[in-house]
Amino acid sequence: MRQVGVIVWKDLLLELRTRERFAAMGSFAVLAGVLFNFSIDASLVRPQDVAAGLIWMTIVFDGLLGLGRTFHLEGEDGAFQGVLMSPAPKDAIFLGKAISNFVLLYAVALLVLGVFMLFFGLEIGSSPLALLLALGLGVLGFVALATLFAAVSSGTRMGETMLPILVFPLLVPMVIYGAGATGRLLAGRPVAEVAGNLRVLAAFALVALAAGAGLFRFVVED
Amino acid sequence: MVEARGLVREYGAVVAVDGVDLTLGEGEFLTVFGPNGAGKSSLLGMLGGALRPTRGTVAVRGRPLDFGDVAWRRSIGMVSHRGFLYPQLTAEENLRFYGRLFGLPDLDELIPERLARVGLADRARFAVHKLSHGMRQRLALARALLHDPELVLLDEPYTGLDPAAAAVLRQVLEELGDRRRTVVMVTHNLTEGLALATRVAIQIRGRLAWQSVAADVDRAGFEHRYHEVVEGWP
Repeated sequence: MRQVGVIVWKDLLLELRTRERFAAMGSFAVLAGVLFNFSIDASLVRPQDVAAGLIWMTIVFDGLLGLGRTFHLEGEDGAFQGVLMSPAPKDAIFLGKAISNFVLLYAVALLVLGVFMLFFGLEIGSSPLALLLALGLGVLGFVALATLFAAVSSGTRMGETMLPILVFPLLVPMVIYGAGATGRLLAGRPVAEVAGNLRVLAAFALVALAAGAGLFRFVVED
Repeated sequence: MVEARGLVREYGAVVAVDGVDLTLGEGEFLTVFGPNGAGKSSLLGMLGGALRPTRGTVAVRGRPLDFGDVAWRRSIGMVSHRGFLYPQLTAEENLRFYGRLFGLPDLDELIPERLARVGLADRARFAVHKLSHGMRQRLALARALLHDPELVLLDEPYTGLDPAAAAVLRQVLEELGDRRRTVVMVTHNLTEGLALATRVAIQIRGRLAWQSVAADVDRAGFEHRYHEVVEGWP
């Protein structure tokens, strides 16, 4: 666990120094909210009815924009090879990178939520904690998959272009249950109505994390 | 200390290392010379556990190389073409990161001492991308030696160094010899390569074509032998 913390510390420090990914992801979140706002004809469809799906698709596209560069800074001076040659277990390296990606994307997801609440006139609903939990669980599953596949795609000539093709098919459960929970919670429905969605999102996140931790070494070892 | 048997590394149809056998004792300093593309870096990568051999084995102190054995990695330090450093972090932060990854104690004392040893005490808070190439190379050396490894692998460490930086590197390598550390260095620099070596070898087309005790060859004799081996290799 100590080495997981070391990786998280280094990744967040790098992000703080460069602000490379957060700036791009934050800008994308705002721009997506603005564009979606103008693209919906409010006389035909109520923005509240489509907001949850758009929130999750924005998070997905935004996530791919930033998480695709997970290993970019690692490659500049071959630093990741130094990490791989250290005694840190590969699963600890994966978990460290997944956690730092989670911190980054969860912050962006909260920004996306805020942007959509502003432009779509949404209210937080009666269970804000459950809403934050649904976002957190969905983002956790997403970053676990995206971190693993970012490692795969970083070793290919196609690079970041490959990432959506690899990840999208696996995100279907997260989008269905995440958007389902988010829509109901924003509509003020009781938490009990989304308990099943939250359980599926938690299971999805756990399976994705376990699979990522187990498979990561096969991806990064030469 | 280090034993390699039948090491082979293939990249598709290209055989970079072709059946290398190597035994190095404690405190030995082996310098490997050879033309570009001879497979020297691949050999070093396999000795350091950065590359998985296609065939063959590597053992350090009788422990076979096992990619899952994290303790095994504590005994190895490597300086490559690249520094394995994060350009946006400071020199001190880079060493702290690696020190914590290796679980080293007392980093607050260790890091300033190691930076001073490579002449970078006054650059601790400089971001790596603001350091000169020579300084980055010295910092890479400090990173590789931070955990006091038993086996040190150096891939062209003198490339691009000015005379002052080369002198610092030479001094650090001399100290390694004094402390009975085993060193394998790959270089084109004859002067530096022969200066500290206890053994020398010439690698060509993946094979160690010639080896000798360093004391048995002088520079002129080695140069003659090098051309003979490289030009005469089928």
